[in-house]
Amino acid sequence: MSTIAETASRGQIRRRMRVDGWRWAGRIFLLFMLLYTALPMIWMLITSIKSGFAATQFPPQWWPDEPTLASYQKLLDPQNSVGQDFLRFFWNSLFVSTVTTILSVIVAVPAAYAFSRFTFPGRNFLFFAVLLRNMFPAVIFLVPLFILMRAIGLVNTHGSLILTYLTFGLPLAIWLLKGFYDNIPVQLEQAARIDGATRFQAFIMIVMPLSTPGIIATAIYSFIGAWNEYIYAYTFLSKNDQLTLPVGIQRFFSENTTDFPGLMAASFMMSVPVVVLFLVLQRYFVRALTEGAVKH
Amino acid sequence: MTIVTGKAEARRKSQPGRSGALRNMWEHRADYAYVLPAIAVMLVVIAYPIYYTIELSFYKTPPGLQLRDKTFIGFDNYTTILTSEVFWKVTWNTLIWTFGSTFISFVLGFATALALHRDFVGRGILRAILIIPWVISAVAASYIWKWIYHSDFGIIGAVLVGLGLTDRPPNFIDNVSTVLPALIVVNIWREFPFAMIMMMAGLQTVPDQLLRAAKVDGANAWQRFWHVTFPHLRNVSVVTILLLAVANFNSFIIPWIMTAGGPSNASHIWITHIYELAFGRQRWGVASAYSVLLFLILMMLGYFYVRALSGNERKEGGA
Repeated sequence: MSTIAETASRGQIRRRMRVDGWRWAGRIFLLFMLLYTALPMIWMLITSIKSGFAATQFPPQWWPDEPTLASYQKLLDPQNSVGQDFLRFFWNSLFVSTVTTILSVIVAVPAAYAFSRFTFPGRNFLFFAVLLRNMFPAVIFLVPLFILMRAIGLVNTHGSLILTYLTFGLPLAIWLLKGFYDNIPVQLEQAARIDGATRFQAFIMIVMPLSTPGIIATAIYSFIGAWNEYIYAYTFLSKNDQLTLPVGIQRFFSENTTDFPGLMAASFMMSVPVVVLFLVLQRYFVRALTEGAVKH
Repeated sequence: MTIVTGKAEARRKSQPGRSGALRNMWEHRADYAYVLPAIAVMLVVIAYPIYYTIELSFYKTPPGLQLRDKTFIGFDNYTTILTSEVFWKVTWNTLIWTFGSTFISFVLGFATALALHRDFVGRGILRAILIIPWVISAVAASYIWKWIYHSDFGIIGAVLVGLGLTDRPPNFIDNVSTVLPALIVVNIWREFPFAMIMMMAGLQTVPDQLLRAAKVDGANAWQRFWHVTFPHLRNVSVVTILLLAVANFNSFIIPWIMTAGGPSNASHIWITHIYELAFGRQRWGVASAYSVLLFLILMMLGYFYVRALSGNERKEGGA
């Protein structure tokens, strides 16, 4: 009797140990991933509060002897030329990203709704065309778009960027929104229409409010995509006062190659808006991706 | 829902004659109004450039985009590319870059998703931190890592010297043999969170009852993963891997900012090479021919992508 009980409990212990083994492996792995993710960002922050002299020492100062916010003050000071440039780039990025976001929501909402609700001939073809677009790299479109923009006089204007970002953001925006519309029961609209609403009224009054989370998510995606875009901005814009942040920072620091604290401070401030936006609206962001891609 | 669409289309196809299809389109004319704005924008910005790229690939073009002076040369641009040594070097780099980044990002992302699946204190915060690299600009990421890899003041070099592993800090991104792996590490840093989010979402669709049933039947953790969880995630995995592969194949910013293809083409991938040919050396014709080749490869990838997606649909429609 006792031996049976003993082996049983030993088996239980062994099983628990095995489970614990997996759990510990998972924890150690997570710790490793956390370090891999966070250490570069922490090093960016530490470098950004060093003086130029402290940053270029070997071995490095792990924590600066005299932490200073001088780099941030320089970048945010509208009085000196560096600050002027940086603030202008910041404003340009904000303007382009905001306009792109608003336009892409306006265009994507009806398209996504149609893809979700109607079965018109060519619907599947169109939808896959939309998805396929996502596969082609910017470089393929650069030369012809550059020529096109020159022909319609948009080179060196923010209009060229907005038009381009709008187009290239659309496939994803439509895809994400379609996922949300698929989950809104058609019966709700049907009920409204029985009560005398037109299709458009049903759309505005029933579907739109229900799909607000999807619209928010789509808006964040468009904004972050436009904010971080580099290659078109790099190609279409050449005047210094029109550059967006990624290109502006690159231009600036290819001239001032040793100002590492300044570069890190600029990288940090360029990341702040999108990271904050993402952290605040995380819920929608992650949900949209999963609605669109996983459940499809 | 989707299965209904499929049936409807099958019925439509069986209708005889072309007038049937046209009538059908006419009956649905109002539906097109919803899609029209999207289609119009995309025709201008997407269809025209594709056509133009194909046309340009058959021409010899003068520098400076004086494109009225171009001359037709047939397939010469293509033979120039396929016989050049740089082409094969760059293709090899692209393969290593794409497969290396995709595979490792996927494995790390999947493993992180599994480790995060169980609830624990601080899980939400941890997940948010892990996603941040994916949100920040690739330009910022490139500069952060360029600084980390810096040959004189880089932190990795300093740690290696501090541990006594080398005498001098190694120069990762100016070395032909280490530059590509070094850039892949940066790329994975930005991309594994995407795989993580996708797989976390996928994990939520695995039915708990099945896992519990398997546990009751005596399956151990590994068996439960391999026989229950993993088969459920096959479609999500395929979609995630394809999306990652396409994104990696198309990536530009990290290699461009960190090395601009150097040293001696060791980190040139197709996209950066095309960019340099077009905007650096102004060989628009050759660059366009490259783009067309790229296009063909992506069409092939796209075929698998669409097949994976419609596989998803069929399964869900049937279930």
